[in-house]
Amino acid sequence: MNLTKNHKGNGGSRAGRLSLDPVRDWWASAPREVRWIVYLLLVVGALVLPSESIGSFMAPSGSDWPTMLSDQIGIYVLLALGLNVVVGMAGLLDLGYVAFYAVGGYTIGIFATKYGWNFWETLLLAIVLASLSGVILGAPTLRLRGDYLAIVTLGFGEIVKQTAANSDYVNGPRGIQGIPHPPSLSEFEVLGVQPLKYGLLDSRPYYYMLVVFIVLTIIFVKRMENSRVGRAWAAIREDEDAAELMGVPTFRFKLAAFAIGAAIGGSGGVVFAAKQTSINPENFVFLVSALILASVVLGGSGNIPGVILGAFMLAWLPERFRELQDYRMLLFGAALVLMMVFRPEGLWPSRRRKAELEEGTGGMGGMGAEVAAPAAVGADVAGDAAEVKK
Amino acid sequence: MLLEISDIHVHYGKIAALKGVSAEVDQGEIVTLIGANGAGKTTTLKTISGLRPLSAGRIVFDGQDISRMPGHKRVLAGIGQAPEGRGIFPGMTVEENLLMGAYARKGDVSKDLNEVYELFPRLAERKNQAGGTMSGGEQQMLAIGRAMMADPKVLLLDEPSMGLAPLLVQQIFSIIQEINRRGCTVLLVEQNAQQALQIADRAYVLETGRVVKSAAAHELLDDPEVRAAYLGGDLGEAAASTKVDGAPEPGSDEDTAADDTVVDDEVRKD
Ligand SMILES: Nc1ncnc2c1ncn2[C@@H]1O[C@H](COP(=O)(O)OP(=O)(O)OP(=O)(O)O)[C@@H](O)[C@H]1O
Ligand SMILES: [Mg+2]
Repeated sequence: MNLTKNHKGNGGSRAGRLSLDPVRDWWASAPREVRWIVYLLLVVGALVLPSESIGSFMAPSGSDWPTMLSDQIGIYVLLALGLNVVVGMAGLLDLGYVAFYAVGGYTIGIFATKYGWNFWETLLLAIVLASLSGVILGAPTLRLRGDYLAIVTLGFGEIVKQTAANSDYVNGPRGIQGIPHPPSLSEFEVLGVQPLKYGLLDSRPYYYMLVVFIVLTIIFVKRMENSRVGRAWAAIREDEDAAELMGVPTFRFKLAAFAIGAAIGGSGGVVFAAKQTSINPENFVFLVSALILASVVLGGSGNIPGVILGAFMLAWLPERFRELQDYRMLLFGAALVLMMVFRPEGLWPSRRRKAELEEGTGGMGGMGAEVAAPAAVGADVAGDAAEVKK
Repeated sequence: MLLEISDIHVHYGKIAALKGVSAEVDQGEIVTLIGANGAGKTTTLKTISGLRPLSAGRIVFDGQDISRMPGHKRVLAGIGQAPEGRGIFPGMTVEENLLMGAYARKGDVSKDLNEVYELFPRLAERKNQAGGTMSGGEQQMLAIGRAMMADPKVLLLDEPSMGLAPLLVQQIFSIIQEINRRGCTVLLVEQNAQQALQIADRAYVLETGRVVKSAAAHELLDDPEVRAAYLGGDLGEAAASTKVDGAPEPGSDEDTAADDTVVDDEVRKD
């Protein structure tokens, strides 16, 4: 274990073998200006990503690269960042994350088509409603642990989808059509793109919008991570009981993680619906939850660059190798299994995450940890113990 | 009374783990709770610190009824716990673990940090090591140190000697005494009854969720029933102080351990 290695020295040496420690060390000791330059380069990189020359490699087989970026990759990255708050930071295993994405999608679907709200208004509302639904799901379930929480969230994802499929108000399985594009902010043109004009033909403005959302999310999440909230999440993830013993209001912080994750997922749903102009329950199936979770775990749960990388790979690879047709999913599954066998901590894990995994206790909501028996659910927060007596 | 638990009942689902436990801990005491596996010792501590809800009974701490207070608030009230199995945060460094101990506190904690490092020089040497990679004994020190960081009025220790080599057990026990000398009340759960009774003022014996005996610790040391059940019968004393690995006499052993790990009393009493 090289955890004891201090952050000095090693400056600039980037022997990029499988271990990412040199990169981490270099980054940890990099001066402020260097970091800002790197951030700037990354943003510039994200902005030139839709260009044709890159597209010819990334999407050679005829599919439209900017559309792939906006409809698949951008959305996945945003959702993965949101789920990472829940799974990677607070350590809660959520298998129904798609529910919040659906809440976002249906919020704009309903309010834009039935009440004429514009994109930004619905976005705001969706964020509120999604985090509210996170709280509603979380309040009764976050007292459960590990696999129990996973099952309940899995159920919640299905409930939201089934409710949509069975409500005439949202046209059941046919879904909602005619969702308006976002109003164009400006017609200005740069290098042949009108980045703020949201129309039917050009996917790039949507991609740029997602980039902005992603950057804002990263800034927000990073600030969280380095605050008291982030420390509390880390403690909960590593040992929930011990966290409570340190004076961390564990339940409240788990709820906060759920709400924040949900809000990010909801915003993703709004962009998706506004881009597609139509949604239906089949857009919000379990597979989406599974793939987003796979992105987080595969990339390196808890580590933002890792999660972005993971989501990018998972969104891109199956599209890139469309020519393999049905085999691509088989190969894709095999690749995931191999990954987890040979690099269980993910492609790009955080240093801390590695230590947690080696210890074998840190992880997703303490799978297999002590489980309060049904009658004693709610044990963690001293409270309604009366019924237990019965 | 600093801590008073009266007739508490605690259930896991339908199973009763505690069936009316009462105990008291006075300011400045070391009180120990001994009993066989599954007697309910850990449950008692968890209930005091708020990790398990009461189904009946009352816990009064420092004049305040805390029976329904959530666990995280009890820390601020002054209850610190080093849990069974230590509960170290594996991905955090030693120092981060210690600072987590002071999570609920406001203001500067560097003084307390230094105090813990003085008490456990080993932790100071390993500040930047991940908690999960520390040895069992080191983790135990870390768990105790971390609980101290909350500046508790009472420290709940759940089997601090579990899995430690005899020499280290001695060290841990003398550190517990030192912590107590500095004004912290201690409620100690132990399998290692012999040693626990030696440092404690009073003791409770727990059997299947009930207190079956409570007395001054030295009385229990001589109690034939207790000796038979928890101290290995008449062989008890001999067995507990056997030099399995040829360690010196317990007395001298303890002294050297204290000198090693605890800063001289006079130096720090002020
Ligand atoms: N999470 C749980 N779910 C169900 N039963 C439990 C749980 N934790 C403890 N128990 C039961 O409660 C009783 C008391 O357990 P407790 O852990 O308090 O014992 P203990 O005195 O600390 O034992 P040991 O010395 O082995 O640590 C036991 O019968 C145990 O099986
Ligand atoms: Mg126990």
